Amino acid sequence: MTARVDLKIAPSHEQLELIPAAVEEFAERDNWPPDLVFKLNLVLEELGVNIVNYSGATGDIEISLVSDSERVTVEIADDGRPFNPLEDLDSPDISAPLGERPIGGLGVHIVRTMMDEMRYSREDGKNKLAMTKLKTE
Amino acid sequence: MAIDFQRNQGTLIIEAAERVDSTNAQRFLEDLDAAIEPTDQVVILDMEKLTYISSAGLRVVLQTAKTLQRQNSGFALCALSGTVREVFEISGFDQVIAIHPSQEEAIAALKG
Repeated sequence: MTARVDLKIAPSHEQLELIPAAVEEFAERDNWPPDLVFKLNLVLEELGVNIVNYSGATGDIEISLVSDSERVTVEIADDGRPFNPLEDLDSPDISAPLGERPIGGLGVHIVRTMMDEMRYSREDGKNKLAMTKLKTE
Repeated sequence: MAIDFQRNQGTLIIEAAERVDSTNAQRFLEDLDAAIEPTDQVVILDMEKLTYISSAGLRVVLQTAKTLQRQNSGFALCALSGTVREVFEISGFDQVIAIHPSQEEAIAALKG
């Protein structure tokens, strides 16, 4: 059985705060384990904050979650500047000593590590990121 | 997000609960800054009741670790749940900040 939810939110920090409740409600209906809820919320927060802070997007951020027995597929689209999180950002140096750790740059690294598959495309003036998280690991 | 702290013989134990995300990370930082004194020899951040942390929260922990290193205080995290711990590991923070299973073990490691 496949379940789906679609969210459209304005690109603002206030609107980002609506995401966790929506994900949790969907997760409850679809019986997700708590760590899957955590990880999907984490990925959406990191990407959402980047869009609001850096992309210059003005139109709604479009998010869809599709869940079947094996995986959750997440799509997120924004009309900000072209940005491919798979290529346009170097991974932070996660072995640097404490004093040399930059404050920041971790969000995209976390997303890339958490998700099992990621695909980026630029379509109709929008960044589109499609990601898959397997339910069993 | 809720924090609670207690101080005993130069050891400050801070318990963080619920969620630390981009909406409350700044307040988390302010609360930690307000709680920590230069005279604290050992600071332990207990995350047993923390259910969620994002990179915004990690940044606060990193800033706190740097502050404590400058004032020569010991610092450790303890009692991280599975996914919270995974977030720290993915970020490599487990390489620069000590993580212990419990408060008792953190205290024993820091106070010798």
